[in-house]
Amino acid sequence: MTKNGFSDLTRRSFLKSATATATLLAAPGILRAETKELVVGGAASHTKWVEEIVAPAFEKKYGARIIFEGTKSLVNLEKMQSNKAKPYLSVVQMDDPVMIMAVNENLLTPITPALAPNVAKLRQGTVHMDGMWANYVQPWAGIAYNKSVSGVDSWTKLWDPAFKGRVVIPSLQNTEGMWTLFMAAHLATGKPLAEAQYEIDAAFAKLEELKPNLLNVYAVLTQSFNLLEQNEIAMLAGQFSSYTIPRVTEGATIDLAAPKEGIFAMPSGICLVKDGPNPELAAAYVNEMLGAELQSILAESTYSLPANTEVKGVDIAPAGIEVFGPDWAFVSKNRANWIDRFDRMMAI
Amino acid sequence: MSQFNGAAAAPGRRTDPFLLLAVPALCLLGMLFVLPIVFLLVKSFRDTTGNLSIATYVAFFSDPFMLTALRRTIVVAIETTLLTLLLGYPTAFALARARGFTQTIILIAMILPLSVGVIVKAFAWSIVFRTDGVINKTLLGLGIIDQPLRLLFTETALVIGATNIFLPFMVLPIYAVIRQTDPNLRSAAATLGAGPLFCFFRVTLPLTLPGIVAGAAFVFSMAVAMYVIPNLIIGERTQTLSMLIARSFLYLRNEQMGSTISTILLAIAAFIVIVSSVILKRLSGRQA
Repeated sequence: MTKNGFSDLTRRSFLKSATATATLLAAPGILRAETKELVVGGAASHTKWVEEIVAPAFEKKYGARIIFEGTKSLVNLEKMQSNKAKPYLSVVQMDDPVMIMAVNENLLTPITPALAPNVAKLRQGTVHMDGMWANYVQPWAGIAYNKSVSGVDSWTKLWDPAFKGRVVIPSLQNTEGMWTLFMAAHLATGKPLAEAQYEIDAAFAKLEELKPNLLNVYAVLTQSFNLLEQNEIAMLAGQFSSYTIPRVTEGATIDLAAPKEGIFAMPSGICLVKDGPNPELAAAYVNEMLGAELQSILAESTYSLPANTEVKGVDIAPAGIEVFGPDWAFVSKNRANWIDRFDRMMAI
Repeated sequence: MSQFNGAAAAPGRRTDPFLLLAVPALCLLGMLFVLPIVFLLVKSFRDTTGNLSIATYVAFFSDPFMLTALRRTIVVAIETTLLTLLLGYPTAFALARARGFTQTIILIAMILPLSVGVIVKAFAWSIVFRTDGVINKTLLGLGIIDQPLRLLFTETALVIGATNIFLPFMVLPIYAVIRQTDPNLRSAAATLGAGPLFCFFRVTLPLTLPGIVAGAAFVFSMAVAMYVIPNLIIGERTQTLSMLIARSFLYLRNEQMGSTISTILLAIAAFIVIVSSVILKRLSGRQA
């Protein structure tokens, strides 16, 4: 049989190409190995201030690069669970009810004063479950509204028939979705929020009455926020100060109302991932996030309540309005059922 | 005889070296696609204790909420496919007929939007669909409607948005087939007395059917499985199967139901791909 030069050439070329491809694929990994990296998970709405404030300060001080993955708290939990055997996230910033689920699944390492000394300087109620996680700054949440609407002084405004098809509320998949649920319970029962939060059947019945006013239920905030700024919708329930007020100061024709029935403290927590890479850098990142220096900058730039007691002169929360923090253990225990019930109720 | 034909003419004597070129892609597909699908299939037939069970399939097909999402997913995919065909078929002809600069412009118009992210397009559509958007303003201006239509967060909006995104995947396969057809066949039919309609239905359409089938298979498969587009355009109140998959895995932490819905979605897409392959094979056999 005649030797087939073309197939010989193909074989050699194939091997050469394979080697070259392998080298090319490996190169970024080799280059990355020379620079320390810390992968931090967090909320998508945190991306701007993490990348503009936190990451540059940390990189300057520790010479390590921060890679921030912004998504939802429940997606962060899924990432931690799926990679439990070999975690790639070192630190995660997510909400308290999801933190409880992470603790139950043994995904976290406690933040001790030995690892992060600033944890000892936080105000009461911001360090949870023996240091499994801590709140750093807490934005407050109310109703974002277009300025064409006047007098959003009560949560009952969401139910006003004048706003048929002009209201959007968050899905219960999003932590801020809980605020409309709890306020519905309060409005339905007349009980204080601390008691009403357990009256979930009444809350769902009240939410059912809101359906004619709903244009949509969002899981992705940004698009609904655009619709609010464009006056396509009048009100966006459960919005938080860290996202809304910066847009107000940038000139958007919207505002954030603190209705008389109360506002809510967003449960922004930070935790160390168990067996996560670069544990010393991770502890340093958490320590910086809990420190007075960074918190005073973050509190002012994100319009949030600082957790560190050494931060002075920051007055963020509206005066005379109750700031409510719910029973997150109760939320965590029931959330999956509530999401299922809510989705079915809201489905078209 | 060429090297190609020689290798193909002697099966079993030696392995065609060209097959090696497919090895990296097959390995990648095997690891990232086939293996996870096998895991999903296995998981969908197990209960929470790991025993073999079809309980989640029974739960799915007896739940009106799930069946509504299933119906919507299929209807939206069919409507998207038909609309892309309606718009794509004449576009493919225009593209094949055009020459020089005009052809370049049409090609760029088809291909360039593929480089724009789906999220950007979805945001753009939300502006168009507003009560004071272009569509409502035009309809109001023409006196066709008295009140703005609600377009945002509707199935109609989803079909229009998806059509915009998937249109090139319909145009390009049809264009490729038109390029291969002999234009003299239409002239010959006309010479023999065939009118334009007869010529279209008896000559042009049968010749371009392979392109239509391939384009429809592409668009339907993508439309039935799309996640980001419905998430942004119709939101959480109008669930599709892919949204239910994410909801099951991420928010309800019900892996069995997530796997079951994934398997059902895969079965729908696979059915369409297999049927279109069979049709393509028959068509090419008939035209050979």
